[in-house]
Amino acid sequence: MTRRQTRFFFIAGTTVFTVIFVALTIHSHTRFAELTHEDAITADVIAGKHVWHRKNCINCHTLLGEGAYFAPDLTKIAQHRGEAYLRQFLQDPSRFYSEERHGRLMPNPRLSNQQITEVIAFLTWVSHIDNQNWPPRPILVTAASPQGIVLGTPVPPAASTDPVALGEALFRRSPPACFSCHSLQENIVLVGPSLAGLATRSAGIVQSPDYKGAARTPQDYIRESIVDPHAYVVPGPTFAAGGQSIMPPFGTVLKPDEIDQLVAYLATFK
Amino acid sequence: MRYRTQAVAYPYFVVALLLYGLQMAFGLLSAAKYLGPDPIKDWLPFDVTKAIHTNLLIVWVLTGFMGGAYWLVPEESRTELHSPKMAHVALGLWTLAGVTAVVGYLFGWTAGNKLLEQPLPVKLAIVVVMLMFLYNLGMTIWKAKRLTTTEGILMAGLALTAILYLPSLFEFDNYTVAIFYRWWTVHLWVEGVWEMIQGALLAYLLIRLSGIDREVMEKWLYVIVALTFISGLLGTAHHYYFVGVPSYWLPIGGFFSALEPLVFVAMSAYAYQAIRRSGLAHPNTLAVHWTLGSALFSALGAGLLGLAHTWPSVNKWTHGTLITPMHGHSAFFGAYVMIVLAMISYAMPALMGHPESQRESKIGLWAFWLQVGGMFGMTMAFAAAGIGQVYLERVLGFGYLETQAKIQVHFLMLVGTGILFTAGVVLFLWDFFFLAPRQRVHSDAAAQAAPTPA
Repeated sequence: MTRRQTRFFFIAGTTVFTVIFVALTIHSHTRFAELTHEDAITADVIAGKHVWHRKNCINCHTLLGEGAYFAPDLTKIAQHRGEAYLRQFLQDPSRFYSEERHGRLMPNPRLSNQQITEVIAFLTWVSHIDNQNWPPRPILVTAASPQGIVLGTPVPPAASTDPVALGEALFRRSPPACFSCHSLQENIVLVGPSLAGLATRSAGIVQSPDYKGAARTPQDYIRESIVDPHAYVVPGPTFAAGGQSIMPPFGTVLKPDEIDQLVAYLATFK
Repeated sequence: MRYRTQAVAYPYFVVALLLYGLQMAFGLLSAAKYLGPDPIKDWLPFDVTKAIHTNLLIVWVLTGFMGGAYWLVPEESRTELHSPKMAHVALGLWTLAGVTAVVGYLFGWTAGNKLLEQPLPVKLAIVVVMLMFLYNLGMTIWKAKRLTTTEGILMAGLALTAILYLPSLFEFDNYTVAIFYRWWTVHLWVEGVWEMIQGALLAYLLIRLSGIDREVMEKWLYVIVALTFISGLLGTAHHYYFVGVPSYWLPIGGFFSALEPLVFVAMSAYAYQAIRRSGLAHPNTLAVHWTLGSALFSALGAGLLGLAHTWPSVNKWTHGTLITPMHGHSAFFGAYVMIVLAMISYAMPALMGHPESQRESKIGLWAFWLQVGGMFGMTMAFAAAGIGQVYLERVLGFGYLETQAKIQVHFLMLVGTGILFTAGVVLFLWDFFFLAPRQRVHSDAAAQAAPTPA
């Protein structure tokens, strides 16, 4: 090859691939609105994006897997932890984590209530972006043991009609990502109370004079806690704010038969 | 030094190396924070030290590129620089913008966009400097009516660097769209036009150091930059995995970024050919080390370790883990740090006014091997930490915080090898600022002392 030929190879190759790249970019623009649910980008979401940038969040955290590697990925955090928890956390991260126990602690970002609302709106919008189902399995901030229980993708046997088995699979699915806040081991508190011995404790709670809810059986109490977490708040340092549970209500996230399955599963923890 | 105004490169190299030293301080601080607990997290948190670490890198490497260009263009075009004064003013403004950005980060003044954290006024100052720089060198070439392929590729790379910075001036309400265009700057810089710059500087250095025929080198330089864009343009897609863009970017990213190592293999072959044909008997051993080092280390860091996690079905698990800085550190070092240090080492004797054969190289060689060894160690520490993280956190499902606690030992490795690396940087600076300027005095004394019989 002569220099003329290699120069032609350079110019032609670069031109061809530039054209392809630009064409694909134009095509991508026709898809962004649908893939990212652009209609859900409210003023709060845009303001929240500014908070995200202004506070330099991306130089510790990753979002959609991009950023720095010093703090957990936040792509699905809004789905895992819910609005009430995130609000409490952002007001004072040291309420939930300590350097002694967890090795790292986020400095207080000093956000106003309005900014907190906005950044949660932003993270909620991000959590619904269609990103090829990444991450392939949930990335958790903390977990007592590998995702609660066993390895492998939590899919129930196709033919199974056993509500307990279906409920267990549901427990390990995201959403509702129950495991991202509740451990199944005694005395291990992630965010909400451990669910070990839940059925036995529930029986005690419904009998107790402190309990003002409507449930009379452990099953009904568990169902009530899923649908309306505020009905009764288990005493604990991080479980509530202003008398309200920080757990999001799951009545609209889950279908009625899914709630039945989850109750059946959780009621087996004696 | 064939042209007096090539000396403009010197202050650029001074600024570049001072910022390089400062970058190490913030790098070590960031690494130490991984060991935790962090007593200063409330007034100097990780996000600040890390942003300063990466921004200093970008600023000093660009300063080095500019210094290298001011050195190279007059020589290639066989003329004096159009305006040395403008080059000095531009450097002043550039340094001011860089220092303002760094000090601003300390006080939370940031655009908070990874690697493009510079607030808008700083970004605009950077654009102005780039334009002054391009104008100055453009006029130099224009007046000389002589443009070699090597300097043509270099200038094209630098001009495209300025142009590709422009997308970062825009804001997008849709975060996914913002990510999409952020990579037009970041990816097309480091895996596109900066490779043109690296290729051009490599060609220049190999021609000078080995004395190989220019015609041959420039012919293959076209092939290298052609491969860069054929693989790298669509290779941008490997940054589009799982961020909310159409799925076809996944196979495109996988295929074309798997081709990207070819560029670095080509550069290594290029250097090898130069040695085989013409040997490397050049007296400037330090420049020879850094030049060949750049060709080889970039094949490892940018080529091989990029390939290691670029396939979508692999990246699905490694996306957003410490595997990325494994590749990032070694790639940046091999491709861009080493080529700038090669240019500095090559120009040094002439800038200091002493003959190349009398250049004392002992400390310089220590600086080279400590940096190469330290970076190799850091790369391995990130790799071990990253593999551990992928397995524990992503595959088994441990929490992020538990995983980080379990891979602490690798952060200890990171800090240890980081200290070795920093020692190499300190030696390089010591050699540059203190030993090299005095060398002429030493060699004069040696020359006088030699004839005296004992």
